[in-house]
Amino acid sequence: MKSRIVTPQRARATAPRKPFNHRFSRRAFLGAAGGAAALVPFVPLLSREAEGADGPPKRIITLFSANGTLHERWAPTGGENDFTLPEILAPLAPYQDRLVVLDGLEVIRQGLGDGHQMGMGSLWTGSQLLAGDFMGGDGGFAGYAGHASVDQAIAEVIGATTPYRSLEFGAQTGGANVWTRMCYAGPNQPLPPEDNPQAMFDRLFADIGMDPQGIERLKSERRSVIDLVKGDLESLQSRYGGDDRIKIEAHLDAIRAIETRNEAAVPSCEQPMLDLGFDPFANDNFPQVVQRQIDLMVMALACDLTRVASLQCSASVSGVVFTWLGHSVGHHDLSHLGDDDPTMLDQITAVNTWYADQVLRYLLDRLAAVPEGEGTLLDNTLVVWGNELSRGNSHGNHPVPFVLAGGAGGALQGGRYLDAGQAPHNRMLVSLCQLMDVDVDTFGDNDPGSGGLPGLS
Amino acid sequence: MRGLGESWFRPVACALVPATLLCGCYTGLQGGAGAEGSAGTAGDAGDASAGSSDGGTDTDPQAACADPQVGVTELRRLTQAEYRNTVRDLLGYEGDAADTFSADERVGPFTSNVGAPVSEIQVEQYMSAAESIGEWAAGQLPSLLPCDPAALGEDECANAFIADFAPRAYRRPLQPDELAALQQVYTEGKASGGFEVGVRLVIQGVLQSPWFLYHMEFGSAGVNDGAVIALDDHELASRLSYFLWNTMPDGPLFDAADAGELATEDGLAAQVDRMLADPRARGAIATFHLQWFGVDEVEGVEKNADAFPSYSPALAAAMREETAAFATHVVLDDDGLLASLLTAEYTLSDDPDLLALYGATLPPGHVAGEPVPLPAGQRAGLLTQASVMTRHAHVNQTSPVHRGKLVRENLLCQPLPPPPPDVDNTPPSPDPDATTRERFEQHRADPSCAGCHSLIDPIGFTFEHYDGIGAWRDVEAGAPVDASGELTETDVDGPVDGAVEMAGQLAQSTIVQQCVARQWFRFAFGRFETDEDTCTNDALDTAFTEANGDVRVLIRQLVLSNAFRYRRAEPAAIVGAQEEQR
Repeated sequence: MKSRIVTPQRARATAPRKPFNHRFSRRAFLGAAGGAAALVPFVPLLSREAEGADGPPKRIITLFSANGTLHERWAPTGGENDFTLPEILAPLAPYQDRLVVLDGLEVIRQGLGDGHQMGMGSLWTGSQLLAGDFMGGDGGFAGYAGHASVDQAIAEVIGATTPYRSLEFGAQTGGANVWTRMCYAGPNQPLPPEDNPQAMFDRLFADIGMDPQGIERLKSERRSVIDLVKGDLESLQSRYGGDDRIKIEAHLDAIRAIETRNEAAVPSCEQPMLDLGFDPFANDNFPQVVQRQIDLMVMALACDLTRVASLQCSASVSGVVFTWLGHSVGHHDLSHLGDDDPTMLDQITAVNTWYADQVLRYLLDRLAAVPEGEGTLLDNTLVVWGNELSRGNSHGNHPVPFVLAGGAGGALQGGRYLDAGQAPHNRMLVSLCQLMDVDVDTFGDNDPGSGGLPGLS
Repeated sequence: MRGLGESWFRPVACALVPATLLCGCYTGLQGGAGAEGSAGTAGDAGDASAGSSDGGTDTDPQAACADPQVGVTELRRLTQAEYRNTVRDLLGYEGDAADTFSADERVGPFTSNVGAPVSEIQVEQYMSAAESIGEWAAGQLPSLLPCDPAALGEDECANAFIADFAPRAYRRPLQPDELAALQQVYTEGKASGGFEVGVRLVIQGVLQSPWFLYHMEFGSAGVNDGAVIALDDHELASRLSYFLWNTMPDGPLFDAADAGELATEDGLAAQVDRMLADPRARGAIATFHLQWFGVDEVEGVEKNADAFPSYSPALAAAMREETAAFATHVVLDDDGLLASLLTAEYTLSDDPDLLALYGATLPPGHVAGEPVPLPAGQRAGLLTQASVMTRHAHVNQTSPVHRGKLVRENLLCQPLPPPPPDVDNTPPSPDPDATTRERFEQHRADPSCAGCHSLIDPIGFTFEHYDGIGAWRDVEAGAPVDASGELTETDVDGPVDGAVEMAGQLAQSTIVQQCVARQWFRFAFGRFETDEDTCTNDALDTAFTEANGDVRVLIRQLVLSNAFRYRRAEPAAIVGAQEEQR
């Protein structure tokens, strides 16, 4: 049991972070909504428009929890179509016919980095880490991942028409380094998740709450400022080379995306009512943070603010203490106890069962509660739950537990338990692309192979 | 990001200590590393260490250092603290403007946004912060404007504001086309909402400009193409102010840059002396020491309430404040010596709860801000402060391992790898019948652990008089505390009894002195040193030694160094997944 800030690198941004302040008029207005206690059912006003001629759009959600699982309590028993969910996945029983439990995948590790670093950096990229300054468990050094993550590759294709190409949600993900980043726009381009639900609320729904004249005035003001910033960045582009130029260009890409959004109509969503009046950086509020982020994510998907979302629960080497389950030892330290230690077995089971129940099942419940077309939002969404390790005390990379859920617009055939037979998980990443109608044969540089996972796509 | 072949992570003391120290530790781990599919990485690290061990010290330093050499400095964004302080000094805004920004990256223990490019959400955060600050500023216009718009005319006054505000925000003179662009923003804002909106949009625009958000450095070249360039006067002024003050240049520094005074060593040194005497230096000196010892976020450390009932966020804040006040006192108000930072037996805190933890009381006639003596023989400078002992401990007990690692890594610059992956590294539970030392001895009984832990634990055990929040204890688990230990693989090797005695030894160490110089380098430039910085670092070591470890001399020498006055930009090669791999 150690103090939960493990290293300065992994420490959170500032501590203690205060709950979001409402300092100014516009935010004060939003604060009234943000402070409301009840979660009011909301109607996705945009869903009809978003459906278009081809029916509702497909969405994808990538979900992360840390430090591995206990395969013997995670793996179902039985055959592909006739299986029983084990202890850890039991809370997902109501959705068994919407699940694909994906066993046996190997996350290939090669090149730089230790198990946690490579596991996190390659989880959605299927690729090696770049050289860099983060010291890992083998005494060597590594940087960020060297490839775009699968969610971003998919967003590249399906994210162009929504206000946000993708949205990255986090819960107590900590600092800015290879252990705390899973989504990448490209090599060395990690996407920081937003850990504060209030800040995410403001980001997504602030403008929606404004009156039409106010919003036009704000857009006009922002237009002037964006033009200035764009001009400065464009004039700097040719003055830099190498990584520095990439930094200028990434900033320019970001301001152009903001500009595009500023020139588009404000989505006609209903402003959600959520209780966000808690400190999102306090350990014991972790469950609230996770579930409010899911609420916001589902609203954003329902309103078609984006079609690609991720939720990163803590980070690689997560030290969250599951006090609400009666634990006093942090998740990572627990995960390192030996296989003959009953505390480890019981509490790691409890942690992973909690994730299945209070995170994945909660997410599926929310998605299933949003009517869309002839069915629900869940029918049109592909959810993927992954982990940076197979098991905490071995730091293994096989079999890393993956669960797919939802309908993917009819593309995902659920109710199955698939054994991938130690296939590289790059094949699953290919399948995710294919399920989302993104036509690729390979994904990531860890596997030269071709095609998706047999039976998945 | 850098290639592995560069050697910054090598212990700085390789000229003094055989390079076998950490290689031996790594070698012990190589089996574990190989099992994870990364065999060879550790060996690479060892090779890189050995390969660079002759850098600088064996060749003729005079000849090798004739031309300025400096490692690559990548483009950096302002840290949260730099942003917050700059907005404060620019506009008088006292709020925490950066509280919603994504976390800062770090170089070692020091915040520096040097690695990843900015993402869309971060640019939105900048927009949101600028809009909030702009709204606030619009209410303060009379005090922010250099003129009265009613008397001078609105447009004239706006122009005067831009001409005053933008150069300060960009930390350099404004070009004519930039002035025109900002006037355009003003004009558009005025058309939409009047004078006040126009000025507000100028503020919002400037605060979102890359010239505000990044440390831009081109020197006289105008283009960054991989060559070594001399920084221009305003870039030097900006480096000075962010290094010594953690914020933007003030008027006199700006004036000195305008007058070309920073082009000479005398001019630079004069500014260093002036700036160290300014209250703003206290924040930067405090930040260095807080981050160096990993305690800048000690308020975020949670403790088990049963084990430490007196611990609270308020106490943690007092601990942090004590470390800040102590470091600034020694460096700026006292003798400035590293030895004092490591051995002084007083506190600068007058917090009653923290004094109670120390078993100290305010002396009669105590004047606020004066040192308060601590119980004799119990404390030695930064190392035994409550912040450090709290941060480097477990939630319910001490941690000889974390404390030993702190000394090895942050004071001796001898980085240690984390344990091999297949070991149980959960600390043994507290036991009323066994001391911490007894419970942690397992490390060294197990051969797979002993390689590294023989380097860590004999240092860590010397802190056993300090419990998990830094309170002194003579007895643990019914037995007298045994704080004996040993320094090995240093230039001050030998048995020591307790952390006070060890700190006294470390204060004599050349390895520690050189390590502190390297830490200051990383803090000053937001990057690790490379082989190309050898001339700079050799000069720093010489000056620091000659000054008997006076940190103020080290700071001055850093400012006069090539690494400070020159920049090498990134080579033009585009980073790629494969190209960066060895």
